[in-house]
Formats: sequence, structure tokens, C-alpha cells
Amino acid sequence: MNPAAITRLNLSTTLSTNAIIEGKTEDVGVIVSAGPGIDPENHRIGRHYHIVSGSIDHRGTMIQDLNRSELDAALTSCRTAGVRVFATIGKFSTRNPEHEHTMAEKIGPESDFITMGHTLSGVLNFPRRIATACFNSAVWRTYDDFAWAVEESVVDFGLRAETNILKADGGTMPLAGSRKVPVETILSGPAASVMGIMALCDIQEDSIILDIGGTTTDIAVFADGAPVIENEGMTVGSYPTLVRSLKLRPIGIGGDSALHVSSQQVRVGPDRKGPSLATCPQYPQGSVDSPNRVCVPTLTDAMNYLGLADFGDREASIQGIRELAELWETDVDALANRSVRYALERITTAVRELVHEINEKPVYTISELLKGKRIEPKKVYVMGGPAQAFAGLLEQSFGLDVVVPEHYAYANAIGAALTQTTMDALLFADTQKGRLFIPNLNIQKKINRNYDRKQAESDAKRYLLEHLKHIGVAIDGLHPEITESESFNLVEGPVTAGRIIRIKCQIRPGVIGKAISPVR
Amino acid sequence: MLDANNTLGIVFFPAYDWAISPTHPEREERLLYTQDQLREEGLFDIGGVREYKPDVAAKEDVTRIHFCIPDISRVTTQSHLISAGGAIKAARLVMEKEEDKAFALVRPPGHHAMKVVHGSRGFCNINIEAVMIEYIRETYGPMKIAIVDTDCHHGDGTQDIYWHDPQTLFISLHQDGRTMYPGSGFPFETGGPQALGKTINVPLPPTTGDEGFLYVLDHLVLPILDDFKPDLIINSAGQDNHFSDPITNMNFSAQGYAELNARLNPDIAVLEGGYSIRGGLPYTNLGIVLAMCGLDYSQIREPDYNPTALRQQSRITDYIKKLSDEVLDLYFNPPREPADGKVQRGYFVREKGIYYDTDGITEEQVESVLLCDQCSGMIKIETRSSLNPRSLCVEIPIGACDRCADTGRRIIEEGHFRGKDRYLQLIDRRAKQYLQYGY
Repeated sequence: MNPAAITRLNLSTTLSTNAIIEGKTEDVGVIVSAGPGIDPENHRIGRHYHIVSGSIDHRGTMIQDLNRSELDAALTSCRTAGVRVFATIGKFSTRNPEHEHTMAEKIGPESDFITMGHTLSGVLNFPRRIATACFNSAVWRTYDDFAWAVEESVVDFGLRAETNILKADGGTMPLAGSRKVPVETILSGPAASVMGIMALCDIQEDSIILDIGGTTTDIAVFADGAPVIENEGMTVGSYPTLVRSLKLRPIGIGGDSALHVSSQQVRVGPDRKGPSLATCPQYPQGSVDSPNRVCVPTLTDAMNYLGLADFGDREASIQGIRELAELWETDVDALANRSVRYALERITTAVRELVHEINEKPVYTISELLKGKRIEPKKVYVMGGPAQAFAGLLEQSFGLDVVVPEHYAYANAIGAALTQTTMDALLFADTQKGRLFIPNLNIQKKINRNYDRKQAESDAKRYLLEHLKHIGVAIDGLHPEITESESFNLVEGPVTAGRIIRIKCQIRPGVIGKAISPVR
Repeated sequence: MLDANNTLGIVFFPAYDWAISPTHPEREERLLYTQDQLREEGLFDIGGVREYKPDVAAKEDVTRIHFCIPDISRVTTQSHLISAGGAIKAARLVMEKEEDKAFALVRPPGHHAMKVVHGSRGFCNINIEAVMIEYIRETYGPMKIAIVDTDCHHGDGTQDIYWHDPQTLFISLHQDGRTMYPGSGFPFETGGPQALGKTINVPLPPTTGDEGFLYVLDHLVLPILDDFKPDLIINSAGQDNHFSDPITNMNFSAQGYAELNARLNPDIAVLEGGYSIRGGLPYTNLGIVLAMCGLDYSQIREPDYNPTALRQQSRITDYIKKLSDEVLDLYFNPPREPADGKVQRGYFVREKGIYYDTDGITEEQVESVLLCDQCSGMIKIETRSSLNPRSLCVEIPIGACDRCADTGRRIIEEGHFRGKDRYLQLIDRRAKQYLQYGY
């Protein structure tokens, strides 16, 4: 293949994810300015967490100046500890970032990298902003080294492709731009699989995507042909963050989920004790319920036994299920059937709960409450090892069309390759203050008193595209859409003193073209 | 991460597409900054705190409690059914033990809406607490319920609805009616002849601060609740006692509201008034929510908070102490008969003139309750207003005796024959029948 013919290079990395999960991140000096409200001590993260007095209110009005001597003391403490990366976070910094800027300016010379909370997202959520900014700085050095290495390799291979990194929201961002927001690269794997299905199938209706793996099944939901996004962001460990991600619900049921029999019932998972018997390197010794045994009878074995699947060594599966039934003095067929039924029921229940949760998402206007969109899935797309074996059963229990796409085994790779740029921006305008602010694009502009919603919508789109262009994205063919648009009259006494306008604009996750089956 | 000590369901519905008029206090913007504050605090990530959508109240949820003249569709809009539905949702969360407590943060409010509704008074069309409480009783069975109304305005609608109900204790803390809309809510208003002492009014002088409110709570409200032993405590959580409220004259703070709520420990709170939408509500609501969760609220402070300026004057403190003692005595030793009304042929009759300030309607009412020693008594209301001709309304209460039930039904039948009343309406809680004739 001619390297020069390659136009796009999309990479998915678990580097940042693993660094966070394994606790191998750099210490971050986290400086927060909270002001009144919930005690910011509750949001403490890491060993170098400092609270500096100062407050900004919900409209972005500065109520109390930043306390410089407290800031100095915090920095002295970080300096002594040898901290080189920082995060500055202010409450309501997405309304007015002044305190975050002041803190960052003061830290400036002493640091290698600073994350200002408002640059990550325009969403209001101070505790999430703290955690997200802290993670961003914590993985920065590791990620930055990786980015350099990638750039060198691209040159070495003679590639002239635009290089992108995958995000958890089913989209990409340019490698160069990702250096400032490495936190956005975490947990991008599952989203790539979902986008792969989107490339393999023409999804137009409300649909369910099931990715049945070894240990878990990931559930995703499509509304009108687009994947549903988490309201505020993903949760990393015990920390809710502002990192945009697809709404994915993992449940502890997969092909390798262990069967658990008791006198009352048969359960499947959520644990996995090595591969299924069907794929176990050799048939293990000892009782099937011994806690130390590596391979135990699994969901896959039950399906093999019933003839629903023909996977690996079927004989080993049959032997294992028989042993388990003998141990509990129960009917073999019944045990296998009950295992499969349990797994199906868990999956269908979890899907219903997720759809219900999405439909029950609060809304704030009468018209949305009475006439709002409700998701009613019409199709189920299944991928993963046991997909084919499950298809018929799922069709029965959902009462919906079940589709198992061809080439689903490559969905993840296809998704990674074809996924497009995504980006979102929240515009906040206050005509009484004469200010417009788009936090994550770092845009602050003066506006006049007549500035209205229509102008704000067009500005949000324009600034979003300008930003993408600036960070090296080819913007031809990208269409920002307005997902929220509100305008409130700001009344003081008997008169309207201005307007508060809020616009949410995004480039929704999508794939470039469709994957075409190779000619056989 | 924070975990709540009590799980709390918040039914948040700001109705961003509804206003009484563009610059009216009850407008789209009212809960905007409260939502910003709650979101920015990360409230909905606290373990045990969940946000819910409101229900939409059904027609029957309203007609089981209100006589809507001429008809429910003429005196309510969807906004009212949703805010009442929000209260119902809050009640369901608590009654079905999904959550320990619930807060209906909804608008428009309801506590000025009386039993008979010809239109809107004090920004209220239907009484969202009463709709909720009677939904609870209808669905989960009869129970003793206490309503503590901490709105700055006298909860005259709620008082009117529960005037004759000994199973509902209504306590209203408000700015003295001589200085404030709706001009009622004096200590001598203690309830109907069969529920004397079950209506408690505490008219507080202007400039009452945290100290005064908490004194009344500790020395009056809590002892009465101890004695009444309600199955449920509802807080009509109006927030217009706040020092920054534009239409009242009190000095209550967000700290005070939170402290009051923590000590009162209500099962359900329902937002009522409160029109300091930027400097007050974001902080009072946050305080109430944290208090309901059993979490620390000590660091909440309004931008304009000035403890020196808000300190309660000693003459106010003395007045409140004396008032508290007097009102406490009215609960434990209620008068032998109501201050207003008289006995006529087995009925206790009172005449009422009601003004609907928001809609500019005047109403005249004759309310007669059948004096009964078997039940709380059948109620007959004759009403006419500047909008509607004379109409007849009958309520047969929960647990009505046969005589009251029969009498009530006979009055409606006779009304049909006589033909003098334009509209006839019956609320029969015993048979669960809610009938409207003439519309």
C-alpha cells in the first residue's frame, strides 16, 4: 500500500484510561475557588487540593475577589511538594472564568501544564469540573509523550494523513488539538464499536445496540438514527466527570459469565472465571463448583449444550453442564434452559430500564412535557461472540426485529476508522451585561442590547466551525446542529432589562460513508 | 463524593414556557437561577438525590377537592395541572417508599386557591398541596396530615379548604395581614366548629428574622406537632420571607430557611411563593434541599447577606414571644365556637366575600356545614361571582355518616328541581363521585 494514499489515521488509545484506573498518574495541584454553597471540602481530589476564597454567582457576577494570599500559600505548598501540573477550577467559571484565569496566570511560570476548568465544557457542574480538570492534568504528560511518538511515527511511515484520536462520544478530534484535552480520550473503545454498527447498518429508527462480549454486554440506544449521549458526562471510577460519552450501560452478562446454581434458581454472572469450557485449553480437573477452578460452565457452554450455538469444543460444554446438573441433582436440559432464560431476561430488563431512564429524563417546558419525544425502539442490533446464537431468542423476548450485521467482529475497527469529528459548545449570552461567552471555545465577546436568539444560534455554529478549522479539522461537510435554544426575559422591577440566551450546539457523532462489504 | 442521609426526590419543573404575563413575578425566569445553582453545586450527583419529571394531574385529582366554576377547563391551564402533578409525583415517591423525602420545586403556586375556584388569586388557580393531600388520602387511605405553611403570605386558600377538617392541621407562619396580602390569617381564625384549633395562624411583624421564625418553630410549631402526631408533615415552602424578596418585608435568610426545614423535618415540601429570583431563591432552595437530605448547609450565604443589618430588633423578639404563647394556648384550649359565623337550623353558617386579585373577580359565598357528632359534617356552599351566576356546591367528606351523605345528595337533587342555581357540583368522598352539572 502506498502510505501517501492514506488520507486519515484514526487512533484509539487506552493510555489515559489505564493511567487513571491503575493510579499511575502525575500529582496535580488542584486549586479551587468555590464561594458559598456546598462545602468544597467534599470535592477534594488528590493530595494537593487547595481551596482559595473568592466567589462568582450564577450570572457570572463577581461577588468576592480571589484571595491572593491564600493562592500564594497554596502555590508555595505545591512548589515544596514538587508539583508541576495544575488544575484551576472556579464555581460558575462557565459563566465567568476570571478567577480561573487569575489562578492560572499566577501559577504560569511554575508549571508544565495547567487545565482551566471552563476550557473542558460549558456545562454547569462544579464537582464534575474539578474531577475532569484534575484528570486532564494528571494524564497530560503521559499523553503528550504518546502524541509526540505518534507524530514521529506518522512521519517515519511516510504518511501524510490527518491524524485523529477517538473520544468516548463516538467522535474524533485532531491529534494536535487533543494535547490540551487528553481526558477526552478516555474510554473510547466501546463507543467505537457502536459507531462501527452505525457504519455497517443503516440505522434510521429508534434502536437498541447490544455488544455481547465475554464478561459484559454493553447496551447503547439510538434515537432517530443517532446514538444517545450521557446528560453531563461519563463517570470514571467513583468520579462523575464532564467528559462527553455515549450513553452505554454495561451489565455483567457475557459469553464467559459463570453459571451459579442454587436450590432456588440458576443465575448467570456477573463474574467470569476464565474462558468457557468450550474454549478452555484443557478440560479442568476438580468439581465444577470449586472456587479455585479456572474454567467453569458458562453461558456459552449452556448454549452449546442446547445446540443454540456451536462454539469451540461442544463436547466439553456438554460434559460441564452435565456435571453441574449432577452436582445439584437437577435436570440437565432444565438447567441449561434456565441459564439462557436468566441471561435473556437480565438483558431485556436492563434495556427496558435504560430506555425508561432516557424517556424519564426531566424536561423543563410544558410543551416538551406534553409532546416531548419518546424513544420506542423498533430494531435491535446485536454484535459480539454469542450474537448469532442469541439473535432468535432476543427476537422473541423483545418482540422486535433483531439484526446481526455481517462483519460485526470488525465493528470496533470499522467504527474507529470511519468515525467523524464531534464537538459541542454552549453559548451563554447576557444582554444586560452585554456579554457573550462560549467557555470551551474560550470565546468572550461584547454584544449589544438587541442581540437575540437567532443571532446567538448562528454565532454558536460559526464559532464552533471556526474553532474546528483552527485546530486543523476539514470542516467541509460538517453541519453543526442546535440542540437547545432558550431565551429568557430578564425583568427588573416592572421592566425588561435584558435577555439571557442559552444555546447548545453540536456536531453529532457520525460516520463517513458506509462500510462496504469487500468483493469476495 | 457526598451521600445524603435521607434519600430525596426532587420534582423540578420550572415551566420555562409559561408566565402570567411577561413582567409578572410568576414568569419564565423565576426558577432559572435556582436550576443553575442546583446544577452547578452538583446536587444531582449526590448519592441519594434524584430528579424526577412531574406527573400531570388528572381532572379528577382536581375535582375531588375543588369546585371549579363553571368548569375545570375554564379556571386552569396545563401549567396548573403540571404543578399539581409535580406535587402528586412528590407524594407518590414518598408514599411508595421510593424516596425518604421529596420536594416539589414547581410553579405556579397554589396556596391562595380556595375550595371554590372562579379564577386566579394571589397567582394561584388550584391548591397544589390540597390536590396532593387528597390524592394521598384517596390512594393510600385516610390519614392525619399537618401542613406547615412558611410562605410570607397567609395560606388563606389552604385554610379555607381544611377549615372544617379535624384530620388536617394547618399552621401558617406569615407576615401580619394588616401589612400584607391577602390581609387575613389572624390568631382568632382557628377553624370551623368541628375542627377548632386545627387551624393555627401566626401573623409575624415585618422585619422578623431568623431568630423569630426559629423561635416560633421551636416554641409553637413543634410542640403542636408533637401533640397532633400527624402521619405526614407537609411544608408549603414559600420563600418570600427572604430579606431580598421584592414584594414582602421580612428578614429571613437562606440559613434560616435551611435550619427551619431541618428542625421541622417534613416528609414532603412543595414550593409556594418566593420572588427574589436571583438573590434569594437559588440560595433558599439549595438550603432547603440540603436540609432535607440531612446534609451540611452551613456554608450557604447569599451575596447580599449582612448579618448585622438583618439582626432582629429586640422589640420584635418580645412581640413574637408573646404571640407564640397566645397562639399555643389557642391550639390546646381552642375557643368554644368560631369567631365568625352562626348556628342556623342545625347548620353552622358563615358568609364570605372573596377577591381574586390576579383575575379581578369578586365572589360572595354562603358556606353551611351540617353540625354532626358522627362525622366532620356535610358542607354546602352557595356561590356567585362577578363572572358566574349563583351556583350550588356540596361536599360529602371522607368518613361521612349516612345522614350527612343522604342530606348532601338530597340538596343536589333539590337544586336540580328548584333550578335557581346555574351550576351544581357534588364532591362525594364517600362514594368517590365527583359530579358537575350545568356546564
